Order: sequence, then C-alpha cells, then structure tokens
Amino acid sequence: MKKDPRYKSGLISSLNPFGYNVERWSYALHRVTGVVLIGYLMAHIFETFELSMGSTAWTNTMNALHSLGPLELVGLWIVAGSALYHGANGIRLILNEMFGKLMGSPILPVYPYSPTSLGRNQRMVVWTITGVVLVLWVWAGLYLLAGLGVV
Amino acid sequence: MKESWSMILTYISAMVLIFVLTFHFLLQGPLAGKSFEDTLAFGYATGNLVSFDFVFGLLLFAAVIHGLNGVRVIALEWFHPKEKAWLLNLVVVMLMAFFLALGSYTLVTVG
Repeated sequence: MKKDPRYKSGLISSLNPFGYNVERWSYALHRVTGVVLIGYLMAHIFETFELSMGSTAWTNTMNALHSLGPLELVGLWIVAGSALYHGANGIRLILNEMFGKLMGSPILPVYPYSPTSLGRNQRMVVWTITGVVLVLWVWAGLYLLAGLGVV
Repeated sequence: MKESWSMILTYISAMVLIFVLTFHFLLQGPLAGKSFEDTLAFGYATGNLVSFDFVFGLLLFAAVIHGLNGVRVIALEWFHPKEKAWLLNLVVVMLMAFFLALGSYTLVTVG
C-alpha cells in the first residue's frame, strides 16, 4: 500500500519540539524518557535474573557493569532523570487526560487560536514539575557519585 | 481489546508505578541509609525481593505492561500498520509474556 505522504515525516518529526509551545516540549520529553526507561527495564529484568543464578553470577554481573567506569554512572543518572521526569509529567497527564483536571473550559475555536489546555494552572504545574525534577535529579547525581566512590 | 481499554490499562498501571517505583527508589536510594554500592550487595538485593515480593511483583507487572504498551503506541503512530496491527499486537504480547515470565521466575526462585 502506498504510504500517505502526510505520515512520511514519521517519528523524528513527531518528536520535534521546536516552534511549538511548552506542552509539545513535555510531549517530546515524555516520549524520549519513555523509550529510555523501557530499554533500561528490559536490561534490568535480565540483570535481576542473575540474582536467581546465585551470588557468584550476581557479583560477576556487577563487576562487569562496574568495568564500564563513568559510563555506568552517567547511564544510571540518565535513567534516574528519565524516571523522575516521566513519573512527574505522567501524573500531570493522568490529571489532564483521565480526570480532565488543570485544563481550561472548552471554548469556540475562534482565530487567533489559543489552547485553553495551556492556562495558568497547566503552566504552573509544568514549570513546577521541571523545577522539582531538576532538584531531585541533581540529588540523584550526587548520591550516585558518592555511592560509586567518585566524590 | 479496544484501544480505549489499553489506554485505561496504561493509566492504571501508571498510577500503580508511581507508588511502587517510589518505594523501589527509596529502598535503593539515599533514604535507605546505605551507599549505592551497598544496595547492590547480593544479600541486600535478595533480602528486598524476599521481604517485599508482592510489591516487586506488582512493579514487574505494571512496568512491563505500561512500558511495552507504550512501545506499541509509538510503533502504531510511527508505522501506521493498519491491517497488520494484529502482528504488532502479537509481538508486543509475546514480549510481555517473555519478560513477565523471566521476572516472575526471578521472584519465585529468589523468594
């Protein structure tokens, strides 16, 4: 079947946040962090499986991960940040989409269009999420650095 | 299953994840009163799985269902498979079954 030209821009275009409002940035970040997390989850299930193989297998796996050096730390920090953002933004999305909260009342679509979904409450929550996640992410980074003996 | 049901399942699993993942982070994080390296010790890791097997079981099921359904939604939007959507659904369900079986095996064996 011939592909509809409207869809040719595909995934990359759907993730482009430039030229859009803050909701689009949230959407793109939610997608990217989601992909990071599912990749980590699958690896984490394999990793945790080593626990059932006994302490030697587990120690060998941990040593193999530690041999990655700073990459292990950076990787875990990215995963921590992804989980924090995806979770916090996910709470906002559940409030929006499942319970219809934080959104403005529906209005007639009159030009120039302004999204009622992006009212004061929504903006406040988006920026609060960004601030809280950044603080927790720095905390997670310091904990990981200290835990791996870097600081 | 209707797409609307899969979305409701996504929201419910997300709400479960917020609680159980926070708990998981607290066990593995600064509030456990241990360094990160210490939380990776075999005894501590298996001890947590034994003590909180129900929580980790819930975490496993919610994370696998939520995550792989998310991948399915991204793939649906990316490829627009239309009449071949069943194939994508089949692959995702098989992946879910595989990772749930692997995770459950770990929980049962360690526990």
